[in-house]
Amino acid sequence: MLALIVVAHPSADSYCHALASRAEVGLVAAGHEVVVLDLYAQGVRVAMTAGERVAYHEESPIIDPLVAEHAALVKRAEALVFVYPTWWSSLPAILKGWIERVMVPGVGFVFDERTNKVRPGLGQMRHLVGISTYGSRRSYVRLVNDNGRRIITRALRMSCGLRVRTSWLGLHAIDTSTPAQRQGFLAQVEQKMAGLR
Amino acid sequence: MTKALVVYCHPSEQSLVAAVRDRVVTGLTAGGAEVRLTDLYADGFDPAFSASEWANHLEPGTDPSITSYADDLQWCDTLVLVYPTWWSGQPAMLKGWMDRVWVSGVAWTLPDGANRLRPGLRNVRRLVAVTTHGSSKFINMVEGESGKRTLTRSLRTMCHPLARTTWLALYGIDNASVDQRTAFLDRVERRLSRLA
Repeated sequence: MLALIVVAHPSADSYCHALASRAEVGLVAAGHEVVVLDLYAQGVRVAMTAGERVAYHEESPIIDPLVAEHAALVKRAEALVFVYPTWWSSLPAILKGWIERVMVPGVGFVFDERTNKVRPGLGQMRHLVGISTYGSRRSYVRLVNDNGRRIITRALRMSCGLRVRTSWLGLHAIDTSTPAQRQGFLAQVEQKMAGLR
Repeated sequence: MTKALVVYCHPSEQSLVAAVRDRVVTGLTAGGAEVRLTDLYADGFDPAFSASEWANHLEPGTDPSITSYADDLQWCDTLVLVYPTWWSGQPAMLKGWMDRVWVSGVAWTLPDGANRLRPGLRNVRRLVAVTTHGSSKFINMVEGESGKRTLTRSLRTMCHPLARTTWLALYGIDNASVDQRTAFLDRVERRLSRLA
């Protein structure tokens, strides 16, 4: 299957990029085709534009060629792996914007004019995976809610079919974590991705 | 006198959210508040937290190009966010304002060796969200209302310990009638004029 790794961190030498590389190693070892979308490195626009907002309700909602490229990959992918730092309990703006601009009508969902209801558009998706780092401790994340995780495992999941599986890997309290903990988490990510079927 | 900062986020002036913004300002002014309005799209605000910001994220203060946004945030006692809910959360533009303005030395401090931020916005005593949802209240409940929780839990922890939150939302806008929209606008103005 095709697995898309979507990375959202501004620094190419970040721990998130290391996590994405290890996820890629694991997925390749499992025999999957892997494409990495490094949102910052590709210069992906963050916010939906006024033009895109208008197009959203029209025949062809995608007007940015880079978004069209990503949308074509999403339609073919059977696994979406998100790698990002959790900021303000949620997704970095660039990743939130990627979902808003790529998962438009015809990609993420279909708007049924007859019933005025939204139907899933990602029926082929088998795995939604989140790999995230947190400044806060696990107990604090639980208290304020892991809103980034909810956007992916609930809101985005609703756009997938019933057979989709979600999995989540998080490293908490990263500011006070030890090198051994960070190494261990990298190994855990690779191992988990190598087991994705 | 109430000092209200309204942060408005929508790409189109023709949207219902733009009408909501106007009624928010009318209501606040009628209630005797001093209002500052930020229009992120009109400002051309850059919502991407950059590599240099990341490298310096423990140093106090925002990027020099956006200090006025931090000044406004430290000035207000009432923060009102006006935005459409997309994918159950704030639009990327507004999330970028949080990522870039709510930084060290503005919204929080992180003492050496700690992994818990200390609140920096004790001036903010009330947080208000005025938002529209395409989907129904039920769907949003199942999705977990992440935008609501980002505001009323995550951001709120950096404000005054007794800060109050107010949630004004119109659900199911895709199927809302003109009457429902009008009623929502009236409700927003009325509520914002009686915040104190």
